[in-house]
Amino acid sequence: MRKVGIVGAGITECRGRWVEATYWELFQMAVRRTLDDAKMKAEEIDSVVYGIYNDIFEHQAIPESALTGLLGMANKPGTRVTSGGATGFYAMRTAYMEVASGVSETVLCVGGEKATDCFDPRSQTATPMVIDTIAKSWDPFFEYPLGATASDSYMQMCMGYNDSYPGDIGDSKVRAQIVEMMCRQGNRNPFAQRREEKVTAGQVMASRWIIAPFLRLLEACMYTEGAGGIIFASEKKTREICERTGQPPIWVKGVGAANEAYATGRGSYYKPLDRIVSDRLAAERAYAMAGVKPSDIQIVELHDAFVAQLMITMGEMGFVPIGQTRRLIDDGIMADIRQLGDDKRPPKGQVLINPSGGLIFGGHFVGGSNMFSMWSLRREMINRQLELGMIHGTGAINAVFGGAMVVELDKGGVK
Amino acid sequence: MSKQQQPALPLDFNLPRETTELTGKDQQTYLQFTSHMVTFYKQTYGELSRFFLALRAGKLLGSQCPACKQVMVPAATWHCPACNFVGMKEVYLPHRGVLAATAPITIFPSASFIGDAPFCRGYVDIARDAPAASFLPCRLQTTTGLPRPGIFVKGTEVKLVFEDDRVGSIRDIFCVPASELTREQLAKEPLLASELSFEAPKMPEVKRNAALTAVRDAAVAAMRKMAADIERSPRAQKDLGSRTHAIGVKTGGGDFGLYVANQRIRIEDALPAAADFVMVADDPQVFTRWVGDGSLTDAAVEGSLWLPNRAAFGVLPILDRLPRSVRRDVR
Repeated sequence: MRKVGIVGAGITECRGRWVEATYWELFQMAVRRTLDDAKMKAEEIDSVVYGIYNDIFEHQAIPESALTGLLGMANKPGTRVTSGGATGFYAMRTAYMEVASGVSETVLCVGGEKATDCFDPRSQTATPMVIDTIAKSWDPFFEYPLGATASDSYMQMCMGYNDSYPGDIGDSKVRAQIVEMMCRQGNRNPFAQRREEKVTAGQVMASRWIIAPFLRLLEACMYTEGAGGIIFASEKKTREICERTGQPPIWVKGVGAANEAYATGRGSYYKPLDRIVSDRLAAERAYAMAGVKPSDIQIVELHDAFVAQLMITMGEMGFVPIGQTRRLIDDGIMADIRQLGDDKRPPKGQVLINPSGGLIFGGHFVGGSNMFSMWSLRREMINRQLELGMIHGTGAINAVFGGAMVVELDKGGVK
Repeated sequence: MSKQQQPALPLDFNLPRETTELTGKDQQTYLQFTSHMVTFYKQTYGELSRFFLALRAGKLLGSQCPACKQVMVPAATWHCPACNFVGMKEVYLPHRGVLAATAPITIFPSASFIGDAPFCRGYVDIARDAPAASFLPCRLQTTTGLPRPGIFVKGTEVKLVFEDDRVGSIRDIFCVPASELTREQLAKEPLLASELSFEAPKMPEVKRNAALTAVRDAAVAAMRKMAADIERSPRAQKDLGSRTHAIGVKTGGGDFGLYVANQRIRIEDALPAAADFVMVADDPQVFTRWVGDGSLTDAAVEGSLWLPNRAAFGVLPILDRLPRSVRRDVR
């Protein structure tokens, strides 16, 4: 396979609702910024991959059809990817493969969501309908009729983990401290949805129950409207474009993915309730392809749908032992942004986790959330001169979809 | 109206057809129009029909692989994905199992399940003799009142209960902790919902404490102050909408009545003569904390506020919005 570089990235502001823009405009805004970042014109793009999670949110089946012309992608190949919460990761994996295979020289990967126009007529608020729209991702025979939601599904998995590994993610103080640290990081992100908020650990532990006894309101990700784009290019085009922009290339070193079975169970191919096997396999595959190990990586932008799941994911990806993920806080493994500022590297033994504020403070426009993560990762790796970084995506019932991508800052980009 | 005759979409699940104005962050005027993406289905059960027909007959049907002996319940396929899709056999399963993991309790449900909260669903290991098996996704209910933490934990032995009026739905069944049933009930297959008592549990005796009288009075004063603020809070008035309630509250420091009407609330010193329902809290500070941007829902979830039923629980999220709305509009 050919070497693939990332040469441009752009995102919209993350908002709870954009009344000023349809998803057409949000996607175009992200594309304008992405092309501008790469100093490219739309005609230089060979192909486009769209990450859009849910047709019901966009209020249109085949929503990408309306985007093609508006994004300057008319008469080019276009592929829409939808894989639950991991849509953004899988869209980038698709774009990467298209370049790595030699089919295209430059691929635009753009994803987003217009999520909160949904409205519940009985409560006269949006949230219950947004939850319901996501819950439509569960089957109509066995799961949806029981009232399954993303929150209770992820919490089922977290509570299963807590059964097997008590005293770890079950400590609400540890979870709340992680939230407080990510809040500070989100405050630094000019595009973050909650960049003005100051949330303390005490406020997290006093916030309202969503799922008892394991999820409070301030431990959950947001519903966001927005979009983000990433441009993948062949080695030759990468060097040409980076010469033009003056920005260092970021090379894709390893890509890993795994989707577990839908049905939970004991043994065979069933999804175990106490682990996120998809995250473990995805990370192991990405590390193997990249020829690196977790201790080589000091920055991660991971898909924090819920803070308890963030802790398990960090364990599955090998940054802390499973059953001892609270060491992120207890042992100071999670780097403190107050000591790093905007351009310092984490000390040896520490990992900078979600400097964007993650999906909890930064934003979660589902189809493009992992592009949001890649946008931040690239920015932080360049600013802090970090050689290796990783993004992660998770999704679907009980967190059965998982993906990880390891990237490397070009040697010439190291100051 | 029987289950079969209920409309697929509730009749109040609708919006008026209209286009309305909104103000953007840039202070410009934008438009929004009401619409829907409702699709009706006559959803085929296909190969799953065998499982649901069995449920209607009061039986639990799984599919078993003759090669690896794994059991799938519900019988979601008849060809084993682990054994080159060999044909699977029907196996009728016992109506007993254990919870495979501690189950989450949903407090804020999706739009389609508003009114059902708090509810609990979980995964039950039914085919325990099989070397491998799927878990049965199932509603979990208790005869001791609303679900709360500590009841449905990993390893809890449960009994499958069948609704009397079964339509062919996963909601035709639910599980109850085996410890809540008699030996006869545990042995019966199918055990019907009508054979159990889910009546409103007995109201707990409130623990009166003279030292709490002042605490109760302070709570009432705080609620009256909030009631006055609601007069100046359009958000809080919108929260209350067209609701009317007469709620009795018994606390360790004395009783009071909480009335909702005309987009306002009112606090009276005595219990309503005809209350919609009565809540019980030994500690009146539950209500002081509520006014201070706390949550009655959390108090109910954690057990410091007793409620008689799900309908009462459904009122709490509305009341919980009031302190926040008042803070945004008035304070």
